[in-house]
Amino acid sequence: MRAETGADSDAEIVRFLLQAQFSATADDVAAVRDLGKVGWLLGQFNAAPSQSGSAWLNERQLFVPTKDGNYFNPTMGDWMAWRQVMTGADQVRKRLSLALSEMFVVSLDAIDGFWPPYVLAGYWDMLNANVFGNFRTLLEEVTLNPALGLYLNTRGNLPEDPATGRQPDENYAREVMQLFSIGLYELRPDGTPRVDAAGRKIETYGQGDITNLAHVFTGYEWDYSKCLYAHVPWLGYGIPTTEFTRGHMAYNILHHSTAKVTFLGTTIPAGADGRQALKIALDTLFIHPNTGPFFARQMIQRLVTSNPSPAYVERVARVFADNGSSTRGDLKAVWVAILTDPEARAPVDPGNAYAGKVREPMIRFTQWARTFKVRSDTGAWAIGNLSGGDWALGQSPLRSPSVFNFFRPGYVPPHTQIAEAGKVAPEFQIHNESTTASYINFMSGAIKDGHADVKPDYAELMPMAHDSGALLEWLNLYLSASQVSPKSIELMRTALDATPVTETSPDADKLKRIHTAILLVMASPEYIVQK
Amino acid sequence: MHINRIDDFNRRAFLKRCAALSAVGAAAPLAMNLAAAGEAAAVTATDYKALVCVFLYGGNDYANTFVPYDLKNYDRYARIRGGASGRKRGGIALGYDELAATVLTPVAAQTLTDDLQYALAPELKDVAGLFNAGHAAALLNVGPLLTPLTLRQYKTPDRAKYPLPPKLFSHNDQQSVWQADGSEGATIGWGGRLGDLALSSNGTSALTCVSASGNAVYVSGASALQYEISANGAIPIWPAKGAVYGSHEASQVLKTLITQPSSNVLEAEFVRVTQRSMDLETVVNGALKPVELKTAFDAGGKNSLAQQLRVVARLIGARDTLGMKRQVFFVSLGGFDNHSGLMTNHPGLMAHLNEALAAFYQATVELGVADKVTAFTASDFGRTLTSNGDGSDHGWGGHHFIVGGAVKGGQFYGTAPKVSVDSDDQVGQGRLLPSTAVDQMSATLMKWFGVPASDQAMVLPNLGRFATPDVGFMG
Repeated sequence: MRAETGADSDAEIVRFLLQAQFSATADDVAAVRDLGKVGWLLGQFNAAPSQSGSAWLNERQLFVPTKDGNYFNPTMGDWMAWRQVMTGADQVRKRLSLALSEMFVVSLDAIDGFWPPYVLAGYWDMLNANVFGNFRTLLEEVTLNPALGLYLNTRGNLPEDPATGRQPDENYAREVMQLFSIGLYELRPDGTPRVDAAGRKIETYGQGDITNLAHVFTGYEWDYSKCLYAHVPWLGYGIPTTEFTRGHMAYNILHHSTAKVTFLGTTIPAGADGRQALKIALDTLFIHPNTGPFFARQMIQRLVTSNPSPAYVERVARVFADNGSSTRGDLKAVWVAILTDPEARAPVDPGNAYAGKVREPMIRFTQWARTFKVRSDTGAWAIGNLSGGDWALGQSPLRSPSVFNFFRPGYVPPHTQIAEAGKVAPEFQIHNESTTASYINFMSGAIKDGHADVKPDYAELMPMAHDSGALLEWLNLYLSASQVSPKSIELMRTALDATPVTETSPDADKLKRIHTAILLVMASPEYIVQK
Repeated sequence: MHINRIDDFNRRAFLKRCAALSAVGAAAPLAMNLAAAGEAAAVTATDYKALVCVFLYGGNDYANTFVPYDLKNYDRYARIRGGASGRKRGGIALGYDELAATVLTPVAAQTLTDDLQYALAPELKDVAGLFNAGHAAALLNVGPLLTPLTLRQYKTPDRAKYPLPPKLFSHNDQQSVWQADGSEGATIGWGGRLGDLALSSNGTSALTCVSASGNAVYVSGASALQYEISANGAIPIWPAKGAVYGSHEASQVLKTLITQPSSNVLEAEFVRVTQRSMDLETVVNGALKPVELKTAFDAGGKNSLAQQLRVVARLIGARDTLGMKRQVFFVSLGGFDNHSGLMTNHPGLMAHLNEALAAFYQATVELGVADKVTAFTASDFGRTLTSNGDGSDHGWGGHHFIVGGAVKGGQFYGTAPKVSVDSDDQVGQGRLLPSTAVDQMSATLMKWFGVPASDQAMVLPNLGRFATPDVGFMG
């Protein structure tokens, strides 16, 4: 191991790795040292994707209708999601896709009908396919995705009908602006709100913009054109094959509103083709000056810090606006800008009392799983919905309770120094007296026994189990980028040394010490707050 | 227009004094004690009272919760919502004959707008029973308002004179406006402010404001902190209570690690929650243990709202053990944002709401505190009366329930909106322009809770703009 501080230290490289992906190994550290951070990132962007969610469901034969009604069962969607984040060499792709999934939210909670796991996988795979592409393409792929259509009601969205008074559904028109692109208030290039002469924030859109834009998102249906129907003796109707869960929704011109649309100062003429209308609408959102800083700030919050400086946001937003080759929305350039920014890379400033962010519970669990090379001997990866805040993590991937994510980027924990200082701490929205306890209880079980059929492998740690100092140093480095303080490590050492373990101790004793050490590190606030 | 508004300075000063009082406790200088005593006196009571906010996340569809039942208005409703011929269900309209068991019959005759009569959603059978027995009231067309508004005033561009609540029709912001008078990022809810006033009356002041449903700004005060409890009670941190994989030394160290102070504020605040969790777990679970309720709450085992209300009822049952005089609770049920599938999804939600509210009221009867506990519903917003095809869209005003033995029940309060998509009591598509402000609903509940009028205005700074702060449903 290298010196403890400095840009080339193990700790700094692990710190970078834990912002860019879920876990870190000695090989990862060597690779970053060899290629440099930018070079390593570019290599990861170009690396082949691992097996997709849909492909894994197929491999598990989960498309075959069974009498227990698996075609309506969402549970394997959770298995798919956990397996996706916990496995595969392409973990930068997956970590960043997970960050996208917390802004462009679709949740298995609300996915019903045929093949919910496939519908969810169709969305997750789409994010993974576009995470290193362009924001404009991503926005269109999100918009036309079948899962999104179900989740935000563009699927089956009908035009206005003066005879019945029916109006186009406004859900997506509202949320695509509020959450996926421009946000509620006009922003400066550094992500801070612009104000009018009276010091008030300026709203980006009004109800009229929403009602207008809603017309653009009419005329979409799930595309069953490639589906075959299985007829099973126990069901009175056919079960479609899963093609409808991938690609785009179908556009039905007969169900598209031809009304004139005026929103955000843009006009789409009456009678415009639906494809053309969509292009104009999404282009308008893409080129809006808010979109860069709005996206940049949230991705920085997900990956690096809850309270980035306006200058940091502005530097990333500039790259969003222009990657240096006159391209707007180049996501690779945005990720590099976020992860290599001086503010992300400067040594942790002990004088900055607000450094970092709370590691999300699902990311802590995933980090544990990858660090200790979990495997499923049955192949099922039967880790279900861990959203329970009284027995599990209070969070589960692709299981947000609403389109507003598990927590809001502007969440201020009441009655805290964070609130007094005018700062935010999004992850605190799911931190409370129940979840803080539940996380520790859950991890104490998982560390020892794994979860469901998913089991850890501590073989790499066994040779150092007798040396509590070395064991803790290893865990501190790879779990926490050595951010657990020497004082806490010393305390942990006394706890481990209270039960002596030697090189010749039985494996069971060594394992118990390893379990204890991992729990102590992963329960520590110094680990939980990623700086 | 004259606007009688407590200025921000006074309000801030008041809240600061509350905070200071709780921080210094008994050793406070006399002047501080006197000032605080004056403000808090109203809720320094010897009896017990609890207020329970039942939040319906997503925006409840008011029109299929309170359904017009007189034929003239039912036909208007059915026409707008696509009802089938013969008054059968169709589109997003319920069938007329589905409503017979849930007709609301006021205990004293009332004439509503256009001679409206209402039935509740068919699943709200027990809630209708509570209304008809006088144990529940209905508040019609209530929603966030900063000042009374006519449609003309709503349409005027003069926002200085006719201010609007921030970000109408937006979920997260309107949830926050209902709970805390401010858009997303607000940190003090009006339930929490009630808690501030009541803190000193309570033996276990940390349990003044309780959420059984995650973090909710409603129960955060300037001094009063939200305490979160799971439906099964407080969650012990098992490894910190006995042993970590058999090691007591490791358990001790774990306890130290998860509660140690830090100069990093995120760590320090994270730890504060954990510390509170550990401090209160034994107290809470110890007090809950002997409280067994006969009332059945959750027959199907899947009604999370009923499960939350059960733990609230058990906490109320433990009030004497814990020395509680005033408590504010928050529970919730999600899934109300039915842009699609309204006719499939809404009945299940109504069934859960019905079971939960009825069981909770029954439990308060069992505990002998029916007239000491008041529950009320709230939601992001009402929805449109018009259809999107098979659902409804974001609206503004909606109809809500107030349930409890102290409620002047069996009556409608507020003004019934016309069954229309273009009347002047709405902003289009049946999005109701509220005729009663959330602040008026709050003030009415606060008065019952024991907060004098002068302090209500401090907690609800816009209240002075409304001619009748007390809507009357608490007698």
